[in-house]
Amino acid sequence: MKVPMRWLADFVETGLSAKELAHRLTMAGLEAEKIEEIGSLWDNIYVGVVRSVERHPNADRLLLADVDAGEHRLTVVTGAPNIAAGQKVALALPGARLYDGHSDSGELKTLKPVNMRGIRSEGMVCSEKELGLSDEHEGILVLSPDAPVGAPLKDWLGDTVIEFEITPNLVHAFSVVGIAREAAALTNRPLTTPPHADLSAIPAGPPTLVTIEANDLCPRYMGIVIEGVKIGPSPDWLQRRLSNAGMRPINNVVDVTNYVMHEIGQPLHAFDRDRLCEGRIVVRRARPGEEIETLDHVRRSLDPNMLVIADAERPVALAGIMGGAETEVSDETTNILLEGANFDMKSVRTTARALRLRTEASARFERGLDPNLVGQGMARAIHLLLEVCPGARVTAIQDVYPAPVEPKQLQMRYSRIAQVLGVEYPESEVLDALKRLGFAPRIEGEGERRTLTVTVPTYRHDVNIPDDVVEEVARVIGYETLPTTLPIGEASPVRRDPMYRLQETVRTAMVGAGASECITYVTQSAALLQSFTIGEDAGFVRRAPIAKLVRLRNPLQADRDLMRPTLIPSLLETAAANLKHQTGVRLFELSRVYMPRGKDELPDEIELCGIVLAGQREPVGLYATASELDFFDLKGLVVESVRRAGLSNFTVERAEHPALHPGRAARLVAGDTLVALFGELRPDVAAQFDLEDLRVGVAEIDLAVLERVRHVGQQEITVPRFLPVEQDFAVVVDESVPAAEVEAALLAGAGPLVTSSALFDVYRGPQIGEGKKSLAFRLTFTAPDRALTDAELVKTRGKIERTLRQRVGGTLRA
Amino acid sequence: MTYLERLDDLRQRATERLAETTDLASLQEWERQFLGSRGELTQFLRGLGTLPAEDRPAAGRAANALKQELTTAYEERRAQIAAEELERRLQEDAVDVTLPGRTPQLGTVHPVWQMIREVSEIFALMGFQTVFGPEVETGRYNFDLLNIPSDHPARDVWDTIIVESENEEIVLRTHTSPMQARVMEKQQPPVRVIVPGRVYRYEAQDASHEWQFHQIEGLAVDEGIRMSDLKGVLQELARQLFGPERRIRFRCDFFPFVEPGVDFAVDCAICAGRGCRVCKYSGWLEMGGAGMVHPRVLEGVGYDPERYTGFAFGLGVERLLMMKYGVNDIRAFQGNDLRFLRQFAAA
Repeated sequence: MKVPMRWLADFVETGLSAKELAHRLTMAGLEAEKIEEIGSLWDNIYVGVVRSVERHPNADRLLLADVDAGEHRLTVVTGAPNIAAGQKVALALPGARLYDGHSDSGELKTLKPVNMRGIRSEGMVCSEKELGLSDEHEGILVLSPDAPVGAPLKDWLGDTVIEFEITPNLVHAFSVVGIAREAAALTNRPLTTPPHADLSAIPAGPPTLVTIEANDLCPRYMGIVIEGVKIGPSPDWLQRRLSNAGMRPINNVVDVTNYVMHEIGQPLHAFDRDRLCEGRIVVRRARPGEEIETLDHVRRSLDPNMLVIADAERPVALAGIMGGAETEVSDETTNILLEGANFDMKSVRTTARALRLRTEASARFERGLDPNLVGQGMARAIHLLLEVCPGARVTAIQDVYPAPVEPKQLQMRYSRIAQVLGVEYPESEVLDALKRLGFAPRIEGEGERRTLTVTVPTYRHDVNIPDDVVEEVARVIGYETLPTTLPIGEASPVRRDPMYRLQETVRTAMVGAGASECITYVTQSAALLQSFTIGEDAGFVRRAPIAKLVRLRNPLQADRDLMRPTLIPSLLETAAANLKHQTGVRLFELSRVYMPRGKDELPDEIELCGIVLAGQREPVGLYATASELDFFDLKGLVVESVRRAGLSNFTVERAEHPALHPGRAARLVAGDTLVALFGELRPDVAAQFDLEDLRVGVAEIDLAVLERVRHVGQQEITVPRFLPVEQDFAVVVDESVPAAEVEAALLAGAGPLVTSSALFDVYRGPQIGEGKKSLAFRLTFTAPDRALTDAELVKTRGKIERTLRQRVGGTLRA
Repeated sequence: MTYLERLDDLRQRATERLAETTDLASLQEWERQFLGSRGELTQFLRGLGTLPAEDRPAAGRAANALKQELTTAYEERRAQIAAEELERRLQEDAVDVTLPGRTPQLGTVHPVWQMIREVSEIFALMGFQTVFGPEVETGRYNFDLLNIPSDHPARDVWDTIIVESENEEIVLRTHTSPMQARVMEKQQPPVRVIVPGRVYRYEAQDASHEWQFHQIEGLAVDEGIRMSDLKGVLQELARQLFGPERRIRFRCDFFPFVEPGVDFAVDCAICAGRGCRVCKYSGWLEMGGAGMVHPRVLEGVGYDPERYTGFAFGLGVERLLMMKYGVNDIRAFQGNDLRFLRQFAAA
């Protein structure tokens, strides 16, 4: 909300600059978003009076104006059609900086004396556009007759406007007077009440003037009839204030309603009474099928939950939101019915939302306006209307207000203030703070049993519980007075979250292995998931029916409306983007997938680790050898992270997935439990993600499962004391036997003394025959209690030979 | 020549030739020539029998003395040559130390998780447990239990992404605050938790707005928890993150689930509060929202608000990072450009 400082000064003199005031109010909860200076550029521009106007002797369309600005009196050449003797105008002298009236460049030009058809023009009379006030350039700006001749224009028209952000709890400060009240409280200055009419002097209208049928939604409706109104433009000062506050002047009557809403906070509406059927008002719910054309010329269908203002026949306004076009005040209007009312905040909010129509009025009603504000607003409006429509007569009033709202009382322990804030303020300070805000506080009792009773003004819809009072005290006294302490009290054990611990373990392993962590968006499209769909199910290590995936009603990107069942597609997009400037990428993400449950149930959020590897294994460098990341880089990464996480008993076996290369896909299982799925992408799938001609390794580790099957801290750790013995075994087997089976047989035969095994060579060739391969393993043997000798291991060799023969049909090469 | 003259001649030649040896090979050659089994000195000793008998003992002594002398000289020369050879080898082995080292390829932890880790550690030291909650949330936890009824305009502050459902209101959580109620429902005071996690807003993206971002919620509820404790805890956080001199400033603000409610700022570490580009010349950087847990929130989970008080705060993780590192575009954090992420490797 924009508050011009001059307007504010009508009600409070804080003695502070706009910047200081903005800061005080901001700290107290009224956040000043920006401060705008109107007229800060108006040097060398003065209020002048036009003494005479003559024709230019050498040009038909130009005029010579004799303009008197006190110290300066000069003749200016002008083409303005509206200039006339006696007008007060803005006179710019050489050196003034003005906008170009004939272009929209927004460039400021410094005024210099010019010679126009033989006459020297020393200055210029300005249009609104040249002053930067508006786009108006048809004629010059004519100032009000009371403008002081010779005064700098800045002093007369300039202003400083503070724009406030009004939080949803605040309605009492949603007006110039409301802000003034806060400013007065914070600076401890008196508050002036705006001039207003005496409503009790207005004759009572007929009882039928206003009827409230929907009592539950309309606590108060006041209608006042004003006759003999002449519609025209508002006076200069009123228009100026409205535009400085960000509103467009329309006509005198509408301007007054807007002015009062901005000043007092009470929305008002003026109907052309002669267009109201039977000239009366009925506040009721809309009837089925009713429609209204609102002031913005949109026809709107109404439903029976919506509160309308109707005449004898039809809706003429949406209560608290917007008036209707058919009863709008026009140039022909002579009699008006002025509405000042209070409507149920929830009803206004629901209707405004349903119609997608938010207005200045609805924003105020939604926050819970004080019904008692109606009288203040109307009294102020009548005062102003009589000023701007001199011939008007106020002929009738009807105020339907069956249950006037009384100020509420809150009672609380005085000690609550210290209990909540942690600081004990002297009673006098507390009482002073509350009184300044318009509360009536009193403290009774002694010591710990003191009570604080506060009468809360009806305009403070936001103060309902003792802690609301505590906040009022704190924000007036100032939060800078709050000390810093640390919580005391009983210590409770701090337990580490097991999943977070696992994630940190995996994160450390990944980073150590050269992978960088990403965070991608959680939404995906069905198209993106296409290659990750098997029948009805979509996903990778976890799958869910695609039709049941968690779906967003209002996604940020229209096509990405699904909460993802797999991390892989998002990581592939990230890889592709990075490969535009990287030769290779190792990426991982620790994030959730969303496994649907029932329609109205929250999904299972499963933590996964997604991995993508693609491109060169090493960046170009002195020691780098050009080689591409492949299945085995991926496998190493997956297996090592799983081991680091504490899973030692697992196997890796072939797997299938529609996105994966059928010959380079594997799964890691612990017993029957799937822990990870990984492999290289099919080239056609890679191409869909702009990853052509690359081996792209993708993996997902199911951390929820891993957390369940891993063993943490249960494994026995031994201190090595004796040197190990190493022996190499070259095993010849059929080509079709998987290496893992050979190794398993080897280990089974070698017995419990083996502490590690490594496959270090695979050989195929004439020496071992067609259809065979030789796998060379180095086994390390260690005994916990003695140094092993080669002799001791001779027996082992025999056992290994037997096991290999039996299990994989293998033989040992000498 | 007398045998003495012969020995003198031998000594002289041997000494001269020894000085001429340059490497192990020529030294070996010298050894063979003079001391070896067929060497001149050995030959001389073997020929002692051809000398007159009275000369033999003296000649023998002299020859053995010479052998001793030459052997010592040989050993010395050998050590010298070995030292020279080692020196030469080392010199040949020298490298340009300004050539690049073999860099281990290490990845980076995402800055968001670095910050979560750091904040979580700081709060663990103050007795706060780190817990996590669901991202897809019911309206009840995201709004209702936080004193944000659907018919109040406060609800509009959170532009919400809504999940398709039948009857239940389900949303992507707009803040980490729903965990306040979830944690309190499960335990009795004292409660001290922080809740890091991803949150979502229906909000157009620009340099300072993201629709998906991260928050860290803090909650402490017990008898005797005061707003001054909130200020103390946040000051501790600010000092550990931004430096020991930092100060915290509270400004009155509105969040439906706290009363009193504030937003909190830290004085700008870059300009020490004097005003600079990073703090937009205000001297202060806004860190998040906070306040005392609203009695209605406590009642909602069955706590007695007369007995228990609590504080809660919310931090924007990306915001903290932007403040700490002067990053000017929030979208970079989910842009995942490795050139951006790697800069946090040393952070």
